[in-house]
Amino acid sequence: MIPLQTQSTLPDWAALAPTLLLGLTALALLLVDSIDPDDDSPGLLAGVATLGSVLAMVVTGWYLVAGTGMPRTGGAIELFNGQLVVDGMSLFFTFIFASVTALVSVASYDYLADRAHQAEYYALVLLAATGMTLMASANGLATAFVALELSSLPSYGLVAFLKNNRGSVEAGLKYFLIGAVSSSVLVYGISLVYATTGVMKLPAIATALGGGVAGQGTLGVLGVGILMVAGGFAFKTASVPFHFWAPEAYEGAPAPISGFLSSASKAAGFVLAFRVFVTAFPLEVVAGTLDWTLAFTVLALVTMTLGNFAAATQENVKRMLAYSSIGHAGYALIGIAIVTGTANQGYALGASMLHLFVYGFMNTGAFLFVALVEYWGVGRTFEDYNGLAKQAPVACFAMTIFLFSLAGLPIGGGALSKWALLSATASAATLSAYLLAAALIVNSALSLFYYSRVVKAMWIEEPAGDFEVSSYPTGLYAAVVGAAIVTFLLLPAFGVVSGTAFDAAAALF
Amino acid sequence: MVPAEYYLLLSAAMFCIGLFGILTRRNALIFLMSVELMLNAANINLVAFSYQWGNLTGQVFSLFTMALAAAEVAIGIGIILVLYRNFADIDVTKPTTMRW
Repeated sequence: MIPLQTQSTLPDWAALAPTLLLGLTALALLLVDSIDPDDDSPGLLAGVATLGSVLAMVVTGWYLVAGTGMPRTGGAIELFNGQLVVDGMSLFFTFIFASVTALVSVASYDYLADRAHQAEYYALVLLAATGMTLMASANGLATAFVALELSSLPSYGLVAFLKNNRGSVEAGLKYFLIGAVSSSVLVYGISLVYATTGVMKLPAIATALGGGVAGQGTLGVLGVGILMVAGGFAFKTASVPFHFWAPEAYEGAPAPISGFLSSASKAAGFVLAFRVFVTAFPLEVVAGTLDWTLAFTVLALVTMTLGNFAAATQENVKRMLAYSSIGHAGYALIGIAIVTGTANQGYALGASMLHLFVYGFMNTGAFLFVALVEYWGVGRTFEDYNGLAKQAPVACFAMTIFLFSLAGLPIGGGALSKWALLSATASAATLSAYLLAAALIVNSALSLFYYSRVVKAMWIEEPAGDFEVSSYPTGLYAAVVGAAIVTFLLLPAFGVVSGTAFDAAAALF
Repeated sequence: MVPAEYYLLLSAAMFCIGLFGILTRRNALIFLMSVELMLNAANINLVAFSYQWGNLTGQVFSLFTMALAAAEVAIGIGIILVLYRNFADIDVTKPTTMRW
């Protein structure tokens, strides 16, 4: 491959261009709004937000193709004295965040029609996306915490955005309360890690721990600290034990925001967890204190089982998707749970990255379909979806692709990313890896049951009332169909993405 | 010099008081105060061990934590305000429009 861009051709800070683009777009949105606050043409705001996120996506894609930060062009680029690092993994996840932001911005154009405070909405979405890209690049516990808060604080406001809607406010409150507690747990964990090592940068922590800084008396403190840090990340990824907010927040929030949080925000939590645990707490160094793969194995098993079983009992489609999103967090945890000496570590982590990539499109698409249905004023339960395909076959076909891909049927990239996770567990070949593989298969089979209930309602059942679809909103349709096309194309083009993911993951070890 | 373990004990006690407040009190504002206690427990650790290790990393990070705690409270007060407008109460157990 021709190195289109290497460290020598552009200055180092240019590696942060996607983050800067997203942040500047957020400021530009506020500027546009302050020039003419009473302007009621939402097209401009949605256009600026979409343009900014698409630009960030294109730049990230270009860097990924050119190999910025990859070993083949000179390795990871460190910025700000090593507080931020741009490598394959951070760019891979930045691509996910930017594309989800673009989809959400396009869809919000219709969803927000005739609502006040649109500029603030788009600015908060872009700011949260900026925070997520920083989470992907954070190379110190301090930067990690600040980036995590930069993505969390706008999210609280976005969930409670419909401030006259009781569900939205309740969702925002619950999200905020659990978020505040888990961020204080995270910062306390960071303080305990600092207490035992005296440093904050991730590679320095690994060096300090490897040098035997932790005496016998402080091993317990370190172990508690690592567990609390893991708890703080579990909130972002909506994993057990900090998952309680997820069903409420996703159900009450505006549907595009539910999609944004459940795919982009979740992926941001995972990339931070991957980097912190692999770089700062490598297993060979901390195994004597705390074998965190065991903790993640238990979390993965509990999270995927709880998410899928709870999803199977739901009557509300949005809430079903919320619980299935918890289940998918459990699948993505498999990658970090089997990063042990025996497994091919890069392959395991790469499989999780791939699942989050595909999930970014198929899950956002599914929530945007729910947004479309809310736009039409159709109810929220499975019965309300009856006969929808007669009225809107294109959107329902897209939704069918999302749901079957989420279940793991070979109609979208979801099948291949689950297959990658399975083969990663097979290569690990330990008892816990086989347990995880079995749980993945059983849970996927169960998930097919509740996903196909929606498909059955849309295509087979007769409509209950005399419901008529009055309009076909362009923005929502474009986002839903676009996400469906990408989800489907990831089936034949999976190899293109997977090569990048495995290279990026392998570079961490 | 006060031994380092005492600071750990103090901060752990503060953290637990904050956690206890979160689990038992129903007023959203008291909830915010309890979160503040938990964050400041971490600050005690950071400052004490910054002195212990002889570098400034912990002290600087504790300033960041304070700023972020303030930002968090700002968002939280806003959400509690709309909570009051919608439910006419700031009891965190009252909003139960969604149940599984």
